[in-house]
Amino acid sequence: MYADKGGAARRRWLVMVSFCAVVLSSAAAPGDPVGQLRGQVDQVLAIAYSGQSNETIVDRVRPLLEKDFSFELVTRQAIGPGWRQFTPADQQKVTNLFSRLVIRIYAARVVGTQRPSIAYGKMVTLAPDRCEIPTRVTAPNGDRPYAVVYRLINLSGSWRIYDVLIEGVSFVANYRAQFDELVQRGGAPAVIKTLEAKLAEPINPNS
Amino acid sequence: MNYLIASLLLLFTCVSGVADQVNQPNLSHRSVAKAEAKTKNPPTKNRPTATTTIPEDELGNAPAEKVNDPFARLNHTTFRLNDSVTIHAVKPLARGYEYIVPSQVRTGLSNFFDNLDFPVRFGNDVLQGRFVRSGQEAGKFVVNTTAGIGGLIRVSDHVSSLADVPGEDFGLTLARWGFSSGPYIVVPLLGPSTVRDLTGYAGDFALNPLNWYLIFSNHRLISNVVGYSISASRFVVRAPAGVRTYEQMKEAAIDPYIAVRNAYLSHREAQVGK
Repeated sequence: MYADKGGAARRRWLVMVSFCAVVLSSAAAPGDPVGQLRGQVDQVLAIAYSGQSNETIVDRVRPLLEKDFSFELVTRQAIGPGWRQFTPADQQKVTNLFSRLVIRIYAARVVGTQRPSIAYGKMVTLAPDRCEIPTRVTAPNGDRPYAVVYRLINLSGSWRIYDVLIEGVSFVANYRAQFDELVQRGGAPAVIKTLEAKLAEPINPNS
Repeated sequence: MNYLIASLLLLFTCVSGVADQVNQPNLSHRSVAKAEAKTKNPPTKNRPTATTTIPEDELGNAPAEKVNDPFARLNHTTFRLNDSVTIHAVKPLARGYEYIVPSQVRTGLSNFFDNLDFPVRFGNDVLQGRFVRSGQEAGKFVVNTTAGIGGLIRVSDHVSSLADVPGEDFGLTLARWGFSSGPYIVVPLLGPSTVRDLTGYAGDFALNPLNWYLIFSNHRLISNVVGYSISASRFVVRAPAGVRTYEQMKEAAIDPYIAVRNAYLSHREAQVGK
């Protein structure tokens, strides 16, 4: 009888511990997109404004951005419906080239000496697996603050960025408008050729 | 001659149109959510609560939006002209200004000219019947003009009710009155616009008492010399931000013409939704 009571108590403890573990694990990354985004942005800014050489910044932020962004989804949206006509090999190549372009542009823009401050707004749910988080970026030099909205998707329990809107301008929609005619005219080869040519151009960090 | 200078100044004061448009601060995401609703497919019944793979049919299938650009060929030519003027004339001027004038002074001057545009924003708030917003604009003007030393310091940013007031213009007023944007046009020296926004630009010009010296011969608040000086200074002060925004967009673009057109039209649409 005592043994049975002890067994029941152990089972109750096991159930409670398991429940707590589930609650705690669900309270981590996937449950709090704002907290996760804040952590991701802080990590990138910490590298960008660490005072180290700007020449290696692309290599230093790349692992973080590859973790934060769903580049496959970003690229697919940027290409639009034509994406489905691409072969898997072309899709992979375009994703690689486009993510390199995005990371290079991003890295060139976040360098500087004065770290901006970012205010996070309230999360808006777009779908059960998607949300957007408005932020307000204020540069310390007194320039006017501007609005940046991050759109995130829950992929395998982790929130990943799939679009960024700056003052109402969607990053992926802007590229989709640019790629549209190119995709219709020349398909994947034209896109690959154009992206390779773009990546060969020097980028001016002072612009 | 006066008319010619006036026309040139009118055009020069907003050669950095995109930057001016893009720099309006706002955390509102109503328009953004609207854009998402517009681009995504209708919701499916069996949408998963947490996806393990990227949803094939929900994202990435939206085609590029159709744009009302019947003058595309002429617009491309004008775009190249504006590009040349920006790179070879406005950029050296902006760099020279940045080299000579310290950063904090430049910020103060930029704030000062923004503050001077108060009558335009206030007037358009009233024309749209947005009286709460017009009150906020008036509050901003009073706070920045007094505590902000003539508008040099944007003190209103530290007052929660005044920190995030969307700036109105006559193009937005026309939109709220029900006018459609009309065809996209690239105006020589002025940059991207639409028929509605160009009309609105003329309206804003007329709404600003500081421009009246160019319009009326009798009702002058300021002399010609002061008026021209203000207009020229405003152009120089705004040039660096405009050039920087333009160059950054061009550098990131696969097709700069389409990138600027999409950015301009999307941003204006977002502003109309605020």
